[in-house]
Amino acid sequence: MNVFFAGDFLLQKAAVRALADLKANGFTPADITVFSDEPIEFPRNVLYRPSHMSLGVVIGAITFSLLVIGFVYFTQYSYPIVTGGMPIFSFWATGVVFYELTMLGAIVCTFFWFLRESGLPRRGRRLPVPSVEPGIICVRVECTPDQADAARRSLESAGAENVRTIGEAR
Amino acid sequence: MATVPETIPYGEVRRDLWRPLSGASSRYLITLLLLSSVAFWGLCAWGYQLYKGIGVAGIHRPVFWGFYLVNFVFWIGISHAGTLISAILRLTDANWRKPVTRAAEAITVFALMIGGMFPIIHLGRAWLFYWLFPYPNSRLLWPNFRSPLLWDVTAISTYLTGSTIYLFLPLIPDIAQLKEHATGWRRRLYGALSLGWTGSDRQWHALERAMKLMAAIILAVAVSVHTVVAWDFSMSIAPMWHSSIFGPYFVVGAIFSGIAALIIVMAIIRKAMHLEQYLTAHHFKNLAKLLLLMSLLWLYFTVAENLTAWYGNEPKEMIVFGSRVRGGFAPYFWVMVFCNFVVPFVLLGIKRLRTIRTAIIASITVIIGMWLERFLIIIPTLSFGRLPAAWGNYAPSWVEISISIATFAGMGVLYMLFAKLFPIVSVWEFEPHVGPED
Repeated sequence: MNVFFAGDFLLQKAAVRALADLKANGFTPADITVFSDEPIEFPRNVLYRPSHMSLGVVIGAITFSLLVIGFVYFTQYSYPIVTGGMPIFSFWATGVVFYELTMLGAIVCTFFWFLRESGLPRRGRRLPVPSVEPGIICVRVECTPDQADAARRSLESAGAENVRTIGEAR
Repeated sequence: MATVPETIPYGEVRRDLWRPLSGASSRYLITLLLLSSVAFWGLCAWGYQLYKGIGVAGIHRPVFWGFYLVNFVFWIGISHAGTLISAILRLTDANWRKPVTRAAEAITVFALMIGGMFPIIHLGRAWLFYWLFPYPNSRLLWPNFRSPLLWDVTAISTYLTGSTIYLFLPLIPDIAQLKEHATGWRRRLYGALSLGWTGSDRQWHALERAMKLMAAIILAVAVSVHTVVAWDFSMSIAPMWHSSIFGPYFVVGAIFSGIAALIIVMAIIRKAMHLEQYLTAHHFKNLAKLLLLMSLLWLYFTVAENLTAWYGNEPKEMIVFGSRVRGGFAPYFWVMVFCNFVVPFVLLGIKRLRTIRTAIIASITVIIGMWLERFLIIIPTLSFGRLPAAWGNYAPSWVEISISIATFAGMGVLYMLFAKLFPIVSVWEFEPHVGPED
């Protein structure tokens, strides 16, 4: 049974200190989550969250593009129109369709990649979410009962206004 | 002058921006009722056309594209207000964009919805619109992917999907906050739309990355959409249409009319929702400068387009050109020049005259001027085609006029409902900033 602690910080510097201390005590970024009412920019390497969204979007767009080219090609060839030997499929004349649907692929991929990376809609194991007042940075730590003291000490020594247990989960 | 109300306490920001969401004043309800009635009248007119056939519209040989296509191009142009302006301001990190972007993005989505309806209305047999999709129908017909009209379908579908996502993504944090304070059906609605947003750093990072990517993608799509709309015309070898600058000319016109629409909408929101602290004179002045710049660009393209046609002296083009500048369409042409250039140039070019009021006046004239521009691009060319024996006139019927007016009312209704459900200014972007420098 894991325990969750939440520490409320007024200042970003204090939150950064807490994150550094937690990492020094063996907590990984996967154990730590920061909650706030607005996006917070931490200095580099403080809370590293790798993202492959850009790459995913490019791959998605290329895949979509190839699918669309195939679809338009086969759609036109599957109709037995008599053209007197003239080509029916024109790559350049259908270029706009390819372009627009490639961009549609990029848009759809961005949206789904956003959902994937942000864990929305929330599913699977429901972790406790602390309530956060405006302007407050709340650091949540997931730890085993053995690590509980170290986690609480890290949050308190960094200058948390308030440290509380917010729940347990398997 | 403050560009962003950073000095306002966050509690007050939230109270001010959430206030319009609760309750409805009698003035709001009366306005909504009036606009809904006009929109309903337009629907009735369309119903009449569906029942009687497309013959009740004024379009006939040789002018087969009338008010419906004018409105189509016009509304697609208006849609460039939001996403394009918002994306540019987001990518350039312009701080003053914060109170402007959502209002602008909403314009895009609603204008696209309205603009996208017109080709379907124009079909006459609107219930057969799905023939545009590739499916094996009873007559073994497949859509012609090489037709610019099918390009429109793909371009507008992509733009509408992208714009809706672009509007929705930054709404999620606000909706999640609203959910915490709402009750009843609103709580259920916000609960479903917030997707379980908790405000974790993973979610914020993902949102920021997604918004940056979307801004870049949507810019490319927005430019392509109006270029494709321009190609509907320029791909045909009709006088005054077959022009290589039509693409950029349409894009410039679209951004021009979009900014004008944004200024008008912002002025209405500011007054009706008492958001004077958030939509300040600074925002209007910045947008007014952009409007002035676009006015000059529009003039440049208009001169380039008309001067080359006049200098070329190609007989068929000169007939259309003559009808515009000194013939039957001349009053519309010169009113267009007055509205799109003279008024903005005088009111916004002279610094002393550049105020919120003059920006609104200039924007209204630009909207009128840009509608006339779309009319002047479509109707004269079709009236004076290459075959003199096929020349003809066009007069819109009451059905077309009703539907055209109703779309403006429809835009108002959609916007009023949106502003009643969601904060029209992004609340979370005004929160007390916690930065590394603290």
